[in-house]
Amino acid sequence: MIDLQGYGPRLLEGAMVTIELAVLSLILAVILGLLTASAKLSRNRLIHGIGTLYTTLVRGVPDLVLMMLLFYGGQIGINMLTDQLYYAFDIDIFININAFVAGVITIGLIFGAYMGETFRGAFQAVEEGQMEAARAYGMSPLLAFRRVRFPLMMRHALPGIGNNWMVLLKTTALVSIIGLTDMVRVAAEATKATHEPFLFMIPVAMIYLLIATLSEWGFAKLTKRYNTGFGESSEWNN
Amino acid sequence: MAATPIPLEAKGIKKRFGDHEVLKGISLQAHKGDVITLIGASGSGKSTFLRCMNLLEQPDEGELIVHNEAINFRTTKQGREPADWKQVERIRAKLSMVFQNFNLWSHMTLLENVIEAPVHVLGKPRKQAIDEARALLDRVGLLDRADYYPTQMSGGQQQRGAIARALAMDPEVMLFDEPTSALDPELVGDVLQVMRGLADEGRTMILVTHEIAFARDVSSQVIYLHQGVVEESGTPADVLDNPRSERLRQFLAPKH
Repeated sequence: MIDLQGYGPRLLEGAMVTIELAVLSLILAVILGLLTASAKLSRNRLIHGIGTLYTTLVRGVPDLVLMMLLFYGGQIGINMLTDQLYYAFDIDIFININAFVAGVITIGLIFGAYMGETFRGAFQAVEEGQMEAARAYGMSPLLAFRRVRFPLMMRHALPGIGNNWMVLLKTTALVSIIGLTDMVRVAAEATKATHEPFLFMIPVAMIYLLIATLSEWGFAKLTKRYNTGFGESSEWNN
Repeated sequence: MAATPIPLEAKGIKKRFGDHEVLKGISLQAHKGDVITLIGASGSGKSTFLRCMNLLEQPDEGELIVHNEAINFRTTKQGREPADWKQVERIRAKLSMVFQNFNLWSHMTLLENVIEAPVHVLGKPRKQAIDEARALLDRVGLLDRADYYPTQMSGGQQQRGAIARALAMDPEVMLFDEPTSALDPELVGDVLQVMRGLADEGRTMILVTHEIAFARDVSSQVIYLHQGVVEESGTPADVLDNPRSERLRQFLAPKH
């Protein structure tokens, strides 16, 4: 057994932070991605413009810069706001941007833009006749989305979502810069103290690999599910 | 005695795409049990007219009345649109459409396709919907295909399945948009046979088709459209056997 010199439990705690951060960011990114795709496919020029501005901004600025901007800049912004509240209304509140929340918001925002592009392509890949049938049978836009467009779209979106998820997972390592104790930060601290980089960095790499492997298995399951009805050897040809 | 409500009535429907006026004021009255066939060359506007009836296309002018309920429109900067989409959804559920390309939902089995709208739009109990769906599939000869996905069925089977999906809504009127045009010739017969059965049992149907012989057989009224105008209209005997205009005569002449 490898002797982690007492850093084992902290490393595991760090791994949990990494996983929680990644999963919550993914959820936020999927929600933002669906909204962005809808916005960019909207005929309303203002909504379309907001969607385009968002994806252009986020995809054009380095992740680390965005994270710093949101973490430090966001705190300054909130402080200014609470100061105003204090002077104007004598309301005294203090909001501290928690590094974890800042991390989820930043990573969610970044990957929401990438997901938006993935979903946009997937929306457009759904045959128009499928949605037309949904409308013709009296489905409301929400019901048609839930029962027809979403399940059909997922088939096209899943490869892209899987790809984004892998990149997102690794991007979470950036949060150690804003002071969040994920497993990379624990390993870095341990390395500094013990001067044994391999002892800590190799387990960290293995944990990332393990999560990635499990995810691939999960995505394969999902892909199978959303591909039912497609690509089976056609017993009959029209 | 109160007059029985007319299932579907369209008055003075006009529709333009850009500068091109596709429909120039077309009216139609479908009484209970009527089978109305729209014929005409491609580009005559017959499919557009049919799609206006369940508002897949928005008519620029004209009225639509389904079972005594007039659809409300309002005019915006983009043009005219229905004022109340909930009303449109309710009306669409009474007008089942059968499409040229079947448009069965490809991620659902045939049975799931047939129960989908009854359960999720009409709110029917699932169990009851399944029982009814199985009876309908039996009727169109596809009970053994209930658990197949659309890609696993032939075009003719898909279209018969799509008719079962339409029937499951117990519609006021059935709209058929060139239901046999995408089929191989040897598969057309089965689909027409199912449709003939529907006509015989008194279903109200509006049908766009190129199958003139079938139209002659089942129609109570035939409407010939040319460039967005009704050129001739009447019984099959009037329109198909004694065409008045040279254009219709040419349209009906056997093609070589």
